[in-house]
Amino acid sequence: MDFPKKSKIKVLKSPDEQSLDTLLPHNCLFYILPPMIDVSLKDFEDLAIERLKLLRILEQAGVKHPKILSDEWKEHVINELNIAGLKYFVRLLRGNGNTEQDMNARRRDYLSHFILRFAYCRSEDLRRWFIAREMELFRFKFSSLSSKEVKEYVELYEMGYRPISEDQKQEVRQELQSSVLHNIDGIDFYKVSFLAVLDLVRQRKCFLKNGFAYVSSMDFSIGVTLEDSLRFWREEFTKTIEPDKFDKSYAYGIRYNYGKEGSRTNWSPHSCMKVINTQGTSQDACGCPFKLWDASELRTRLVNYGINPVNVQDVISLATKGHFQIACSRYFELTHNTKLDEGISHPNGYFENSQILMENREPKSKTPQMSQQNQRRQHAMTQQQNFKRKLEARVKAEHDYDEELWKLSEQEEQRMAELKSKEKAQIEMELSQLESMDWDDDDDNVKELSDLM
Amino acid sequence: MPEIKVKEFDPELLPDMLPVYYKRLFPHKQFYRWLSYNNSLQHELVFDIDLTDYDDVRTCCSEANICNKCWKFMSVACKVIDVALRDDFGFEHILWVFSGRRGIHCWVSDKQARQLDTKGRGAIADYLQVSMSGGEGSTTKVALYDKQHHSIKRARSIIEPLFDEIIVEDQDAFGTTQGVEKLLKMIPDENCRKDLEQQLTSSMKDSRTVWSSFKGYFESLRVRSQLKPKLKYVVEEVQMAMLYPRLDINVSKATNHLLKSPFCIHPKTGKVCVPFNPNLVQKFDPINVPTISLLLDEINEFDGKRNEIAETPEDKSRIKDYKKTSMFKGITIFEEFLRKLEQSLKSQAITISDKKMDF
Repeated sequence: MDFPKKSKIKVLKSPDEQSLDTLLPHNCLFYILPPMIDVSLKDFEDLAIERLKLLRILEQAGVKHPKILSDEWKEHVINELNIAGLKYFVRLLRGNGNTEQDMNARRRDYLSHFILRFAYCRSEDLRRWFIAREMELFRFKFSSLSSKEVKEYVELYEMGYRPISEDQKQEVRQELQSSVLHNIDGIDFYKVSFLAVLDLVRQRKCFLKNGFAYVSSMDFSIGVTLEDSLRFWREEFTKTIEPDKFDKSYAYGIRYNYGKEGSRTNWSPHSCMKVINTQGTSQDACGCPFKLWDASELRTRLVNYGINPVNVQDVISLATKGHFQIACSRYFELTHNTKLDEGISHPNGYFENSQILMENREPKSKTPQMSQQNQRRQHAMTQQQNFKRKLEARVKAEHDYDEELWKLSEQEEQRMAELKSKEKAQIEMELSQLESMDWDDDDDNVKELSDLM
Repeated sequence: MPEIKVKEFDPELLPDMLPVYYKRLFPHKQFYRWLSYNNSLQHELVFDIDLTDYDDVRTCCSEANICNKCWKFMSVACKVIDVALRDDFGFEHILWVFSGRRGIHCWVSDKQARQLDTKGRGAIADYLQVSMSGGEGSTTKVALYDKQHHSIKRARSIIEPLFDEIIVEDQDAFGTTQGVEKLLKMIPDENCRKDLEQQLTSSMKDSRTVWSSFKGYFESLRVRSQLKPKLKYVVEEVQMAMLYPRLDINVSKATNHLLKSPFCIHPKTGKVCVPFNPNLVQKFDPINVPTISLLLDEINEFDGKRNEIAETPEDKSRIKDYKKTSMFKGITIFEEFLRKLEQSLKSQAITISDKKMDF
């Protein structure tokens, strides 16, 4: 095969290329066999850093736009990839293709995956993080395939999935329609082992027969993060209100807070003062409990939570005098057996402090920028800890990363940042140089970029 | 099967009886067959349903006690779970066992089931878990919508025809003031609840009348198109909440939770954990399950008779001891389960060797 002479990646010019390419039949790769070719140390390092950048972009996109595979999420990923100079990945996120550029992108994707897999196989935490990000990447790639491409893909990898025939579909029509959420007409259904779609089974979201789940190509790539969070709230709220009412009165609110409805702003959460000053009744599932509950209700609850009666009186007298936040802080101190330096002024603060104490760790050396971002990302409900917990888990995982790779990538980023601040023009020139070296189809890329904007 | 005489069981005598039981009656051979799957570390998918979880809906007994009326709860649970495991998940080798006192166990021994990881077990358990309980003392709830999964529809078709017999008649569930209160609590709308409360508590009525006025009330609202959407399935929701199987879900989710094995002796009741046929579960009589004391008497009695007729020892040994007792039926069910299981293992082995021949 003939390769463009400009390609700067020497690794791809080895004599093993031909056999390598047979391992890479599709833009949406299964990384089945590891590469058996020589890679120069420099390329090895470059590829590792690129992959790490890619995965970090995915992670950040997930923090910013909790619904994986939503339009906002996709846009964020693509923009960030373009900014980071990883355009070849963008290509892989646009369905299948068979041009030389596609092949080139596949090779880099393939090699970098295995290099980073190598680095991230060493502990359970690293593995989990790596797999979660790679899953997101795969789902992004897969979700871009058209229904025809899905069919080809399934055949290519001999997954043994065939769309069921129209006759078969009609046979189970009624059960099928009552068991899936969307309309079934005109949609290909695949018959797969129920073990392959456990998440759908768990939620009773697919038709099951004889050990086989009937799933549509839509079900394959449905993102569930928002759904998960909706379900969480529904379960929490239906302890006091009925599911229907939840759907009507709260689901919109939650989507609104996530920036999915209305003005589509990602709202910041209320502080304690704001929560306290907002009107509400004790029947509501929101608001400051120390304000809304009367002394007897508060007493019952506190006793149920296992607070010693003397201290219960303490908290209640603070609350009845109108010192709701001090009462809250006192409650925190009692349940966590600690002394607070400063009182609780924000529900998030309560949660964060609690997390830190529960994990018996000092506040992590988060960059201030990070915590600010986290703050901003919080939504307005007072009981939002579940989602916050997910964020915390992600931040926590960051600590366990392979330090060396981190240093490498941070150095790289730092270098980039310095360059940026020094001379924008120079960077642009450099980038354009890089691109002309990397790619033959610059025009093509420009067009893709402008499509995005 | 001969008429079973209920014999008093004395836990004090258990240590003396167990050695005889394990020597002469316990089906060791069958057990060995059951356990020799593949020499690998596996665990059947198991389900545990216990009558104590039904204490808020059963009035006939409570806690450790059991009667034939209670057994109907187990009978419904067994039917709903059994059909789901077979039809939806395609499992075939399912052994249902009476747990010795007040519950039932289900062992799914298909290869696929034995090899399930925690996530797979959790997914199946969640799939089968429909009713939500807020915990100790709160009422169990089931929420139904227009869109009902086929497994829910099927469960309804099993539960609804039996509801009147089990809940309304046998349990006399709404025949008391507390019963009516519980029923009213299940209405998720305050106005309707108050409305009905007046109707139902104005004069003392029997369970049947209460239930039919409950149904009638919502039916009349429906006819006048005044039924709120959230009350659309309130009757069905009550039926499901009271009768849908209440699984001890954590037993199914993990592989480290152990169940008492079939043919054990329950230490408190002395009853044998006998397998039963899920298709005839409604005919199973948990009260007259043989106890260890009865069984030992039965062998002695049999041997005594036999000795009178023929004195030849070879003759005697030819008849296996369990065949002389009322445990016979349970062992036959177990053997049938094993036979099918072994058959499937054999046919799998044949398919594999056939495939190898191709190469």
